[in-house]
Amino acid sequence: MVRRLGAAYDWLDERTAIRSLLRKGLYEAVPVRGAWFYTLGSATLVLILLQLITGIFLTLLYVPSVTEAWASLNYLKEHDAFGSIVRGIHMWSAYILLFVIGLHMIRTFFSGSYKRPRELNWVTGVGLFVLVLVMAITGAFLPWDQAAYWTAVVVTNVPAYTPFIGSFIRALWRGADTVGPITLSRSFGIHVWLVPAILFPLIGAHLALLRKHGEFGSYVNYRGAYRTREGVDVPPAPAQRPTEPPYPAAPSDELWAAPLQTEDFYPHQTFKDGIISAALVIVVFILAVAIGAPLEAIADPATTSYTPVPEWFFLPLDELLVLVPQQLIPLVLVLPTGGVLLLLALPFIDRGPERNPFERPAVMVPGAFAVLFVVILTLLGSGRLFNL
Amino acid sequence: MSALLAVIAPALHGLATQLPSQAPQGGNIVGAQIAIGSLFSLHILIAGLVSGAAELGPAIEFLGYVRQRRSYDRLAHGLGRFITYYFSVSSTIAILLITVLLVGFWGHFWTTIVTIGWWPLFIEAWTFVLQVSLAYLWFYTWDPLRNFKGVHMAIGGLLAIASFLQVFMIDVVASYMLTPTNPQNPVRLALNPTSYPLTVHRTVGNLAYIGFAFGGFCAIRYLRAKTAEDKRFYDWAGSFGLLWGVSMTLLQPVVGYSYAKEIQLHSYGSWYKMMFGSLSPVFLWQITLLGIMFLTATLYFARRLRTDEARGSGILKLLSVALVLTTLLAAQPYALGFSYESVAAAGLNRPFWEGGLINPLGSMIPWKVLALMFYTLIAIAAVVWYLRGLPGVVWGHARRGEQRILILMTVLTMLMMVTMGFIRENSRGPFLISGEMTIQGQQDVQTAQPTPTPQSGP
Amino acid sequence: MAHRDPRRLSRRQFGILGTQVSGAVVAVLLGIPIIGFLISPLFRQQQVVWRKVGDIADVPDGEPTKFEVAFPLDAWTTAESNLAVYVVKSGASTRIFSNVCTHMQCPVRWDGALHQFLCPCHGGLYDINGTNVGGPPPKPLPQYVHRIDGTTLFVQNRFTEEI
Repeated sequence: MVRRLGAAYDWLDERTAIRSLLRKGLYEAVPVRGAWFYTLGSATLVLILLQLITGIFLTLLYVPSVTEAWASLNYLKEHDAFGSIVRGIHMWSAYILLFVIGLHMIRTFFSGSYKRPRELNWVTGVGLFVLVLVMAITGAFLPWDQAAYWTAVVVTNVPAYTPFIGSFIRALWRGADTVGPITLSRSFGIHVWLVPAILFPLIGAHLALLRKHGEFGSYVNYRGAYRTREGVDVPPAPAQRPTEPPYPAAPSDELWAAPLQTEDFYPHQTFKDGIISAALVIVVFILAVAIGAPLEAIADPATTSYTPVPEWFFLPLDELLVLVPQQLIPLVLVLPTGGVLLLLALPFIDRGPERNPFERPAVMVPGAFAVLFVVILTLLGSGRLFNL
Repeated sequence: MSALLAVIAPALHGLATQLPSQAPQGGNIVGAQIAIGSLFSLHILIAGLVSGAAELGPAIEFLGYVRQRRSYDRLAHGLGRFITYYFSVSSTIAILLITVLLVGFWGHFWTTIVTIGWWPLFIEAWTFVLQVSLAYLWFYTWDPLRNFKGVHMAIGGLLAIASFLQVFMIDVVASYMLTPTNPQNPVRLALNPTSYPLTVHRTVGNLAYIGFAFGGFCAIRYLRAKTAEDKRFYDWAGSFGLLWGVSMTLLQPVVGYSYAKEIQLHSYGSWYKMMFGSLSPVFLWQITLLGIMFLTATLYFARRLRTDEARGSGILKLLSVALVLTTLLAAQPYALGFSYESVAAAGLNRPFWEGGLINPLGSMIPWKVLALMFYTLIAIAAVVWYLRGLPGVVWGHARRGEQRILILMTVLTMLMMVTMGFIRENSRGPFLISGEMTIQGQQDVQTAQPTPTPQSGP
Repeated sequence: MAHRDPRRLSRRQFGILGTQVSGAVVAVLLGIPIIGFLISPLFRQQQVVWRKVGDIADVPDGEPTKFEVAFPLDAWTTAESNLAVYVVKSGASTRIFSNVCTHMQCPVRWDGALHQFLCPCHGGLYDINGTNVGGPPPKPLPQYVHRIDGTTLFVQNRFTEEI
């Protein structure tokens, strides 16, 4: 029996080269130390795939029309328990995805994984971050309940403060001067087709680049971390093992080119990836079943009692909108746009070879402050909204 | 022994005849406010340091472990020693306040607030138990647990958490006085409108304060140091403290502005008093002092790099000039009189070129907001450029000028904290609990229900 | 190659040129309609109609009163959606306000306790005349184009000034 299976596998291998494909995929080297931190990337991927799958199945019921969107989701809520869970997974997975992608970005930022030769990995990553945010925003418009409607009004209104072309950008997104049927159709098309059509090839590019250069990991895996410094108790460097693919066999930049010790991706890293991803999916599932995705009253532009509350990932921006006086409102645009541009330019600003975050404060300190400000604004914003 | 008794006994007898039969009560409101106010300020000046040290010390130990630096460990050890020495001082003042002064002078208020906020105070009491035990444990197991750093750092981490929890609990009570909300709902009480921003503000502030404080302390030690190793350590530690203090302080404009926004939304009278009313000159002084603090720190950065001819001194001097200009902008008074309220009452709220007493450049929106943003950005730039220049610095070479600046920073920080305390407590006047209990109201209830005197005889 | 006229294309160059031209043709033929479709909202006017609000004779002086008026939604939808209209009478003048905040277009409401229009999103405040007096809104509360026949109010779904 086993011999026949072996023969079948040989037949397949001759026609598809599956053996070398699997070997390349599964047995590549990853650095040994800090591996639990590297699970954030695969967790992001798993949550995005979760979004794709639950999203596809939601399109089997949801209707992107101003008169029927809310009704279709309300029908789901009232009459379809399993469908409601799917919708719940879609929402909670989105929230946790944004959190995990933020952590992933922070990890790769502080570890210096964006340095040569991995600059394009970082750039594609920033692109993915922006696209995921666009997905989250456009997805939030779709239920067309009060929360969705007013989110659409406020979010599409933010670009209107761009000098000269602001109202054009707003009109383009809304499809008119006010939020209406075209806004919903456009957002649906962007959410379901346009952005995924860019997102998934970009994910492919991001992963291909990762495979090409290998996971950088953390500076503690490299000889560069074991240089003697005055006043520092440097432990002795572990013995270097011969480099494995994908790390270069003949490193030109000795200190940071190849990790001192590596292990196989499968099963060591995949085990850790699996645990973290499974834990996150379990959390998403529990939240989807216990709390689910809320559906408020149907959108009512004439309301004078509803208080629009932003999505949690918008809290820093919302708190800024509260604090920034009217003469300085364009700042609310400048800060996120400038932030994204700085992120894109990061590998070209911080070009030195040093990977230890403590030895390159010029980039790490502003980054740390940016993260601190986002956290503080989120805390203050949630406090304000809690006490409205 | 009997000679000693012969001296002590009459003194004690004399005292006994002079002590009032009951605790000081009611009566002189101003006297009470001065007594309680100064004691509270003293308490906060020490307690802020202790809380900050309990949070920063373990963090420094952890950083030292990650960076494999012995100097961080020595610094954290010093902070641990500080906590063990001074914890009791600040607690004694606090006990004195709450058992004698608050019960005596503000008895009705104190009973009310303890009844409403009994569970935050209850939790806070237990966090004190935790803090004391963990602080002593953390300090005295330093050497024994040298080979079990993980365990030792875990103790430090728990200490930091206990300290944070303690600050949070007292802030719940303190913020309730300003923005009282539904006291029946514990979550609403704990997260009342100003408790969030106050806790963030005070946590960041305590961390900044301890940084500036040990910066000044290490400056004094540096000037007295005998060995080269000590000089190296104290020079580095002073710089580290200042760096840390500035890094935390530059977060405060955003937090403080948010705090003021919440006060505007939920306790308008207090906000008006601070921004336009009788406290506005003090508030103006506060924003100016903030600029002076950033300026002083940047001058230290520039000087220290200059001492070792390290790169970046020139840019830091430029940033100092930028800070001077920003402070001048922030210091502009809106009302060229005592306050906007007094100017408006005199009918002179017009720009000064129209015969009035208003200086539009002094308005909060947008000028002071811009100034606050500039404070933050320039401070970040100063921190970055100083850090970039540090590899060129040789520790132990600092001149006296730098150390004097560090000591000045400590004094300025204490001044800032006392100023803020003064503003905070007086903005609420005449209320003790906004909208619910005035000082006079408290006095009336207290006088109407005096404490019963003990009956003598069987 | 010998005897080659330099002005003539080689076979290779011809192949390259042909590939580029056909790619360009497809891109242009596809791109023009798509881009035109995407930016078409900039050239379309939203439908503006008059609607009757009702009798405003009983609106008390100095007390903003809310009415809800149905207007057609944009584009192909036959459905209609309500817009809020605040009628404010002060002395001789009558002002017809919308409830669209000039900051981020959140729904504004009249707050009797504050005696001001309040926007709950970011704390914007407008006084009874619609002037922006507090918080971040940069412009006064928008007014609808309206006409009053006797005591009946008619309103257009268009502001007197663009926000």
